[in-house]
Amino acid sequence: MKRKNWAPGGGKKELRGKDEWVRISWDEALTLVANEIIRIQAKYGNKSIFVSGGSEIGRALTLFGGYVPSYGTTSGGSIHATKTTILGYTGYVNAMMSDRMDHRKTTLFVHWGLNSISSSGGNPTYNHLQNKKNGAKIIAIDPYYTDAAQVLADEWIPIRPNTDHAMVLGMAYTLITADDPKPNPLIDWDFLNRCTLGFDKDHMPTGADPKENFKDYVLGTYDGTPKTPEWASAICGIDAARIRSLALEIAKTKNVGLGMSSATARQQNSDSWTQMFYTFGAMSGHIGKPGSFTADGYYHQNFSGLRCLVDIVQPGSSGLPSVGANPVEEKAADVWTALPQVPGTRLCESWMWKAIADGKYQAVKGQWRDLNIQMIYHGGGAKLQTVDGMSDGIAAHRKVEFVVSQSQILTTNSKYADIVLPVTTPWERDGGMVIAGNREFGLIWGQQVTKPLFEAKDDLWIAAEIGKRLGVDATKIAPLSNAQLVYNQIVGSKVLKDDGKTTEPLVTISDNDVKSLAEAGVVVKPQAGRVALAKFQELGFYQVPRKPGDNFEVVALKAFREDPVKNPLPNKSGKLDIHSKTLADIIESRGWSTIKPIPAYNPAQEGYEATFKDFKAKVKGEYPLQLYTIHYYRRSHSVFDNILTLRRAFPHEFFMNPIDAQARGIQHGDIVLIRSRHGKTIRPVSLTERILPGVVTLPHGAWVEMDEASGIDKAGADNIINGTVPTGQGTSGWNTCNVQVEKYTGSIELKPDYQWPQRIPIKEA
Amino acid sequence: MAKQLGFHINSSVCANCKACQVACQDKNNLPAAIRWRRVVLYGGGGWVEKDGRWMPNGVFSYSVSFACMHCENPLCVQACPTGALMKRADGVVLINQDQCVGCRYCEWACPYGAPQFNEAKGVMTKCNFCEDLLAQGQNPACVDACPMRAIEYGDIAELRAKYGTLAEVEPLPSASITLPHAVVTPHRNAQASGTGTGKIMNLPEEL
Amino acid sequence: MNVREWALITFTILAQMSVGSFIVLGIVHYFVGKKAGEKQADELSDRALLAIGPVLALGMVASLLHLGNPLNAYKAVTNLGTSWLSREIFFGVLFAVTGAVFAVMQWKKIATFQIRNLVAILAAIIGIALVYSMAQVYMMPTRPSWNLVTTPISFYATTLLLGVLAMGAAFVANFWYVQSKNPGCASEQCVLLRDSLRWIAIASIVLLGFQFVVLPLSIAFMAASGAAVSAAMFVGEYGALFALRLVLVFLGAGVLGIFVYREAQSAGHERQMSWLAYGAFACVLVGEVVGRFLFYATTTHFGLQ
Repeated sequence: MKRKNWAPGGGKKELRGKDEWVRISWDEALTLVANEIIRIQAKYGNKSIFVSGGSEIGRALTLFGGYVPSYGTTSGGSIHATKTTILGYTGYVNAMMSDRMDHRKTTLFVHWGLNSISSSGGNPTYNHLQNKKNGAKIIAIDPYYTDAAQVLADEWIPIRPNTDHAMVLGMAYTLITADDPKPNPLIDWDFLNRCTLGFDKDHMPTGADPKENFKDYVLGTYDGTPKTPEWASAICGIDAARIRSLALEIAKTKNVGLGMSSATARQQNSDSWTQMFYTFGAMSGHIGKPGSFTADGYYHQNFSGLRCLVDIVQPGSSGLPSVGANPVEEKAADVWTALPQVPGTRLCESWMWKAIADGKYQAVKGQWRDLNIQMIYHGGGAKLQTVDGMSDGIAAHRKVEFVVSQSQILTTNSKYADIVLPVTTPWERDGGMVIAGNREFGLIWGQQVTKPLFEAKDDLWIAAEIGKRLGVDATKIAPLSNAQLVYNQIVGSKVLKDDGKTTEPLVTISDNDVKSLAEAGVVVKPQAGRVALAKFQELGFYQVPRKPGDNFEVVALKAFREDPVKNPLPNKSGKLDIHSKTLADIIESRGWSTIKPIPAYNPAQEGYEATFKDFKAKVKGEYPLQLYTIHYYRRSHSVFDNILTLRRAFPHEFFMNPIDAQARGIQHGDIVLIRSRHGKTIRPVSLTERILPGVVTLPHGAWVEMDEASGIDKAGADNIINGTVPTGQGTSGWNTCNVQVEKYTGSIELKPDYQWPQRIPIKEA
Repeated sequence: MAKQLGFHINSSVCANCKACQVACQDKNNLPAAIRWRRVVLYGGGGWVEKDGRWMPNGVFSYSVSFACMHCENPLCVQACPTGALMKRADGVVLINQDQCVGCRYCEWACPYGAPQFNEAKGVMTKCNFCEDLLAQGQNPACVDACPMRAIEYGDIAELRAKYGTLAEVEPLPSASITLPHAVVTPHRNAQASGTGTGKIMNLPEEL
Repeated sequence: MNVREWALITFTILAQMSVGSFIVLGIVHYFVGKKAGEKQADELSDRALLAIGPVLALGMVASLLHLGNPLNAYKAVTNLGTSWLSREIFFGVLFAVTGAVFAVMQWKKIATFQIRNLVAILAAIIGIALVYSMAQVYMMPTRPSWNLVTTPISFYATTLLLGVLAMGAAFVANFWYVQSKNPGCASEQCVLLRDSLRWIAIASIVLLGFQFVVLPLSIAFMAASGAAVSAAMFVGEYGALFALRLVLVFLGAGVLGIFVYREAQSAGHERQMSWLAYGAFACVLVGEVVGRFLFYATTTHFGLQ
């Protein structure tokens, strides 16, 4: 469909987001889109075309001369560059965890951020319940008594957001000062000395100043500030005695699981936090040992490590050939380890809307380049809704000449677009694979539930059709049918045999399968595997049978601990970098902020300290509350937010402690106005003792509904409140935001969300 | 003793996700306003200040999933003037909408908010234990939807033998009123019915 | 408050007023008959009797408005075994039928005085049963502010108070009607009217006293039996309305009652007496409607809703 007032070149661009819609044919839509791409490319060049997501349209545009992509820290926050540099393992999904069966030996779990139930479904919780059955103790360190804490936590230690680092420094101080090799050994010196670099002056990386060692930083030898539990307490809000006793409890317990949710890294200036966390894991002796782990992230993927363990079920490749590198990117490289800069024209998400709106971006530190984006192509995803600084995003969308969006429903991307192309869901395609990323449950067969609804088409088809109209070789865009891509994945999937070492194909392909698939135009070869194809498809998945003590039970980093020379980490030094000049250089090169090579505490721009006008005298400022954004059952990020039954079940309320409410004359259920430096929104407030006073939370992902007259978002979209504040590696720091809250007295009448009209742009006649 | 169906609600692991509530609406095609099964969040406690820091003082919360309890003493059935509400041989309390006059008297009578009014149709609706699924040998939608496996159903005698006889925790009403056919495994912080130590934490518009 | 609750307020007030009127009318008719003869008694009360029917009918029509599916209304008497609502409807219909039978018999003078009396007594007993079942409808363990002995007591108080004052107003209206048709007869009726209104005034003052005992008692009971929230509403959120209700009933049944009594002492003040009687009825009717509104508005549900 087409925006009513749209015309080539823009057409009342200011009406984006509030215009009416006109239904047009596929042929017209594809031709309009292709013609605009051709026009804009001819006038402004390929560097004027920005693609926010969706790999398929990228194939067509790459063949047409390229486009500007983006990069962002998204879910993993500052874990990305930090972990990749100091440990050599990329990604953040359960990455450093031992196998879940090994956790059954763990007796103490300490989690910085524990909201696994609402942010990652049932699996982590299922496994934790097994741990509890075995008598394990679970401690949740979190500003909120989360639903996970409600079910799992034996103890809840409330903490101010963005201050985990300070807390753990206080714990490190405790261990360093109380450690005594003979009567009271608390520190795993053996591991520190053999497997890490930079803990003390005697184990520094080559060329580093010995004074820059971590231990002396903690003790305050050179900066005059010992990072005592009392020092930490003043920042994080936890009783110094508990900081001390928790450090000792962890150090003295043999089997401990230390967990760090990636929410704690989705914070401004948190680039050193992941390093701090692993440093503490290393010194307290909980890396690479059976029954212990130190791991960031714990997701739906069954609570088992993915990056450092072998997958038991290994998905096959779809066999879709690459169309080559995007010519607009000056050099393809891993964005997280690339030094000294992120190369080429690639926009940092936490700055991209502003870059598009302002017409310039920072390629490397201090190097601001002109940028003239005139077209935004949303090939998928929900960037306008889910990237911080949405107000800048709306401005960017109203600035450019053309916006296209592909979606199933009128997402916020599509709401602010000129042309919306309806795409299929996986359930409308002829079967599909979901690569679940779970090491023992890697593949889910998705059956076709319905023929495509209305006129929806597959992404790849759209890319090929636009490619044709752009005059590029469309056979390169979609050389294989959807069905062939899917069956390639199934046929190529492998599963570990019981020995835990060798693999065999996951599915058996019989001669009959070959024949019947050939009729559907799919070419496969017969093979012997673990399960018959038909059975796999009937069941929809394959789960490896598991039991404690089987050959799949792997302890993360065990080999590294045993022999770091023979089994080095896959990073530059081969060891855990407690001192990493590389990391400091990467951060420096991005140009947003600087860090030390060791994990020194770095207060956030909008952290606890920033809630004060005068921190020393404890005088609060204009935005005295800390806001962070929890995951919410109503939706997965922003997906499903238009479903009425879910809206009925979860009103998207704002959470606040009654103590903070009382000071503002706010009652349970009142409509409140939430103001930050970046935007305003109104929501019903739920007063709950489950949140630390001084901290408030607005659940993540609600679909913006801007009241243009007042500039107030009625829907409570987190990214209206969260602004464009890139730090460190370009982190989107959603959990770092200062706000003020008051009872709303304006004229907007806020009905419960489930009574709002759904976003349905065109009703079927 | 004749068979009587009932639910086991394991509040100790309920994560407040409301999958049961939404699955029920989905399976039974209910409008957003009608929820035959709901989840209530109950909690309390307070905070004390020490040196500018706030310490939790007995802060707790827990969730309870509840629906029609298919009671031994169903006040709704007794109240219904038309006999549209009835208790079946297997103990399931059903409503015959053809008989219903829409007086909403059952709504007043029930302490669990089970009978709910359908504004569009002008008649009452309520949990039917997914009788159609039961007839096909399948589980009620709420049971299958729960990611924590916190809802179970079966003969109440068997459930009681397995899980005990507790059928009331805050904020459920005293079981003595209607003799509900449910067994609750209480959360570690569960408060006894009627003690009022905490409060319902949901927003009014949410329940 | 929505249509549904206004329907219930209208129904319960009008039905109770009908029952009360019927009983009061019967008593007045009996005493007037004894004193002045049957003919004079009929002349005083027959038209008032006929007015009761439409009032009850209006109430019953109003009751249909609180149903989601009124087409099934006829099925609502099928659960007499356990449902007080069924019984309420049953007695309501029965009262209407026996009352109508009596009215027709009385109007057309069918059968003997004694037989008609028996029918009237029967209708009155059914009316009492109706008010009783109306109260029982609300007496449920899940409604602690209603599940009190004061519910039936206050329903009866309303029944009689409205009955007394409605009939007072009806007699006055009847008097002026009769006088306009037939001035000769009116003077005798005038005496009867003054006599009746004196007694009506006395009765209303007595009933007022009774109301003023029951009302605080019911709130005290609420506070003591799990409906403290409801009790608090009478002084909190609905304090002004509750005060209005007290003032109106006091004004109508008390102050105006005294004036009616005074004006009814001697002849020549019929006009003033009439306006006072109308005023007293209007005040009490509005007061009772407000009271019934509060009855519904302050209720709380026990358990989950």
